[in-house]
Amino acid sequence: MLRTALHLSHFAAMVVFALLVSIVLAGLARRTAAERIRYALWTLMMFLLVGVGIAWLMYPFSR
Amino acid sequence: MASEAPLTENSRKVNPARPIFIAFAAWVVPGLGHLLLKRWGRALIFFLAAGGLAVVGYGMRGEVFTPLSSDPFGALGFLADICAGVFYFLPRFLEASGPDISRAAGDYGTRFIAAAGIVNLLGVLDAYAIASRRRS
Repeated sequence: MLRTALHLSHFAAMVVFALLVSIVLAGLARRTAAERIRYALWTLMMFLLVGVGIAWLMYPFSR
Repeated sequence: MASEAPLTENSRKVNPARPIFIAFAAWVVPGLGHLLLKRWGRALIFFLAAGGLAVVGYGMRGEVFTPLSSDPFGALGFLADICAGVFYFLPRFLEASGPDISRAAGDYGTRFIAAAGIVNLLGVLDAYAIASRRRS
């Protein structure tokens, strides 16, 4: 049982989410291991860039 | 050469019940459908990804939607959550202190659990397509 809750920062939660989803997308979209690793890294980078970019754009409206 | 044609034709025939069984297995346990199809890599990917998302979501004290929700978003949330198969029923064992969506982490956890279901739905569709020879 998880007696204690996981305490992840917003960024860490985003990284974990992006990493796991990137691995799935790479597994579905590419056939070989090398292609999958390249695709997963590319997707992970895009997730993080777009996530941080949207956060940066929304920052002026956060208060 | 002429004798090979019927063999090839027979080898392409698919028992119509098999893809449905494979899809059901893939839904119950993420990755099991691919495991039965001997796609070890994808089986591991789907099990780790769907399981990882669900366990982290429960760890962040995310909420699991119940089937009897009067809210349309709750109903959609339930559809996403139930797609996670066995991981939908884990909070009874994993979330000792219950969900807490009063904090941002709990809200993120709710999204993680829904994402686990969506990821497994992709796995179910992929396993079904492979079993019915629509995808290699």
